[in-house]
Amino acid sequence: MRTEDLISRLAQGLKPVRRLPSPLAMLALWSLFCAAIMAAAVLVAGLREDFAAWLVNGFALYSMISAALVALTAGYAAFELALPDRDQRWALLPVLPAIGWLVTMGWGCLADLARLGPEAFNLSISVPCLVFIIGLGLPMTATIILLTRHAALIRPTPVAALGGLSAAAFASLGLTVAHELNAALMVLVWHGIAVLVVTCIGALTGPRLMRRAATV
Amino acid sequence: MSDGQPATCFWTARPVTVRSTNLGEGRDARDLRWSAMMVAAQAGDARAYSSLLRECLPLLRAICRQRLREPAEVEDAVQDTLLTLHRVRSTYDPARPFRPWITAIAERRALDRGRGLARSMARNTGLEAADHIGAGGDAEHRLMSADLHAAVGALPVSQRTALRLTKIEGLSLAEASARSGLSMGALKVATHRAVQSLRRKFGMEP
Repeated sequence: MRTEDLISRLAQGLKPVRRLPSPLAMLALWSLFCAAIMAAAVLVAGLREDFAAWLVNGFALYSMISAALVALTAGYAAFELALPDRDQRWALLPVLPAIGWLVTMGWGCLADLARLGPEAFNLSISVPCLVFIIGLGLPMTATIILLTRHAALIRPTPVAALGGLSAAAFASLGLTVAHELNAALMVLVWHGIAVLVVTCIGALTGPRLMRRAATV
Repeated sequence: MSDGQPATCFWTARPVTVRSTNLGEGRDARDLRWSAMMVAAQAGDARAYSSLLRECLPLLRAICRQRLREPAEVEDAVQDTLLTLHRVRSTYDPARPFRPWITAIAERRALDRGRGLARSMARNTGLEAADHIGAGGDAEHRLMSADLHAAVGALPVSQRTALRLTKIEGLSLAEASARSGLSMGALKVATHRAVQSLRRKFGMEP
């Protein structure tokens, strides 16, 4: 087919399209959705029993703020990168908050070591962490993939990976409010593994999901 | 243009506001005109859309020519760009310049086509190295079949999938659409282009 004929065919019966909201507006929508899901999950699971005491402990606040920053920056980067003309360095936006989260957890491990001695490094499997973050993170990842489906033909893999990271970080944030897990090493390992799993699944399956969603 | 100063869109007679001086940097009269035409296209104005795409063709060809050598490949990359642009036309924000938006799409499609060609060349090298294997049968037929195989392999994934489902497996458009996740329109265009491309390659079309 000649290119000029293709243009005529594309223009023929052209339908109006609704312009996409800005990445900031998309982030606001996404954050509201995640906040509602987390609130519902906490309502079902209940607040952790030591919530008040835990919150006044400075470490809890830092870990929550850093997880929230990871969730917000990864989400914003996903919405920016989903647009064709945006700089791919947006992908680096969540790097600093992620390092911040790791440093907070590392600092917590050292504090536990000083407080409890070698006992602080006792590691057992925390099934609720994995079930909560992966169980909620995956459907939430599917939602952000749907919101960024226009990236299917642009750069689907980084957008899906960042979306997965954002969803998992929101789920991790919800879990810290609901589930009593005080050893920083346990949080670092199990939250870290669950977030990684969701991010990788997002990156691997996201492009196909986006293509499917984009053709519907 | 200064902040917030409205530019009149001659396609729709509606004012289009260009926001920031940073984003607006380098927005010459042509970019503003293209931007206004794209806004009109987003609102469903087919005439504005057609004119815009035709005006952009030299730019798209220049971008694709930087990454691809064969004129036929350049034209295919331009068509891929137009199809992508059509699918993502809702992502254009008139507060930003138009040229970086269309350039980013063209560069991506040209890059993808270049990668596809490199992969197909690697496969062809493998085939040549294995020429001595299998002595029986009609040599000319085998050669033709290997050429056809390589030519099909060199097609973009969407065209290869469309060709396999509709022409080789003989599925109906609806079945092929359900199987591949592509719309029936996209399948039709991809199959047509795959067949044209193969005809061109084997000298069956002037």
